[in-house]
Amino acid sequence: MGKLEARNIEKYFKHDGKPLKTLDGIDLNVQDGEFLCIVGPSGCGKSTFLRIIAGLEKPDNGEILLDGKPLSSTGPDRIMVFQEGALFPWLNVQDNVEYGLKIAGIPKEKRNEISNRYLDMMQLTQFATSFTYQLSTGMKQRVAIARALVMDPDVLLMDEPFAALDAQTRDLLLVEMQLIWQKTKKTIIFVTHNVAEAVILGTRVLVFSHRPAIIKKEFEIALPYPRTAEDIHGKNSPSYSLEILAELRPEVKK
Amino acid sequence: MKPNVLAKKLGFYAMIIIVWQGLDSSDIWPDNIFPSPVDVVEDLAYGASDGSLFYGIGTSMLRLIVGLTIAIVGGTILGIFMARVETVNQTIGSLVLGLQSIPSIAWVPLAILWFGLTDSGIIFVTAIGAIFAVTINTYTGVKNIDPSYIEAARNMGAKGSQLITSILIPAAFPYMISGFKQGWAFAWRGVIGAELLFSFLGLGFLLNVGRQLNDVSQVIAVMIVIMGIGILVDGVVFKRIENKVMTRWGLR
Repeated sequence: MGKLEARNIEKYFKHDGKPLKTLDGIDLNVQDGEFLCIVGPSGCGKSTFLRIIAGLEKPDNGEILLDGKPLSSTGPDRIMVFQEGALFPWLNVQDNVEYGLKIAGIPKEKRNEISNRYLDMMQLTQFATSFTYQLSTGMKQRVAIARALVMDPDVLLMDEPFAALDAQTRDLLLVEMQLIWQKTKKTIIFVTHNVAEAVILGTRVLVFSHRPAIIKKEFEIALPYPRTAEDIHGKNSPSYSLEILAELRPEVKK
Repeated sequence: MKPNVLAKKLGFYAMIIIVWQGLDSSDIWPDNIFPSPVDVVEDLAYGASDGSLFYGIGTSMLRLIVGLTIAIVGGTILGIFMARVETVNQTIGSLVLGLQSIPSIAWVPLAILWFGLTDSGIIFVTAIGAIFAVTINTYTGVKNIDPSYIEAARNMGAKGSQLITSILIPAAFPYMISGFKQGWAFAWRGVIGAELLFSFLGLGFLLNVGRQLNDVSQVIAVMIVIMGIGILVDGVVFKRIENKVMTRWGLR
């Protein structure tokens, strides 16, 4: 039994009044501490799948189990990092990071103690009292990651969190993300359309097909951490990126 | 304010006073119809010295604050429910749009019948004149919230009243502040209008007294006070809040 299990997840969306099948029976088993990356053509439903795991959307069929128990709604055991960060502009960085703790009713001193730890980890300490309009996109995403980590979730869900970043910032965060994962030993499910990103981060990469999505193929990435962009294109390592792209390309063209 | 903008403004008002004084000196109209600026200033000074002006301002402001507070609390709650519960929007929402079109002064007869010539009647007119502007702006604000804020909050465990106070209200606040501003403007008109008709203390009452005494300078003096308070609240209080909110929320 895995940490998180998806059983036969099906999802339909209404399109011109007709139901459009988006997810066609996704079966998945995620091990504790795994860094699972999902790639797929845009609009294939990979984000929807993540939202179903988070409980933000209901599947039309199938179920999600965490530690063997079926889930029915959102919960602080599965925290999502959104593509645009979804930081609250009316709160400063520290209050953003503490938001979930405050909701959970944790007293102020304890909140500060926890948030300070993660602000430090994400190198945000000096920006604790800044507001989001004062931050760069990369900084915002660090805050979003810190805000998710303070909740100490069983599973961290990341929905294309680096898609809006410039290349340099993304490279930096890719390195940091590996460190965070090694330090916190979290189970992470990471959705992206960027194959290189998936290969750098993932212990395993799933390729979703075009809609209605199924898991077309999966790859175990047997490269040592920490990985860099150079590593995955190195002559001595297997060319995962090329293999994954070969699987992905026909799906994107559909 | 930039010095040249200030200079333009001061020049403009100085010109009004000069033209006004000139018209008065030309004796086209008798003084009991068209008072001089000096008469008006004397009247203001008299009202200030015997305290009646400040008492009038205080009474009207108190009614305004109570009425507007009721409107802001009620309108915010109503607006949030309209935005979040479709049935409420389809039913009460349509009524709100209709009620919004009733000028607040048109509520006065009903207020007199229900509350008599009392403070409560004036406060009722003030509140009802402002509440729908607050409601509609709150509704629009909540409808326009980036859905990812709500999803992120739900994801971190917020629900019910926590979601309302920690996300919906602050996220909708830039819209709500315009609602408060509109609400204040309606409330201010409402309170003065109601006081005219209730004839029961306040600035509107002082206007009415001026009319009854055939004292044009008092009428104009009170009107200037009403305008002055309007400028102060709009240009100082709301402008400051708005500027702060707009910057903080990253809207500029």
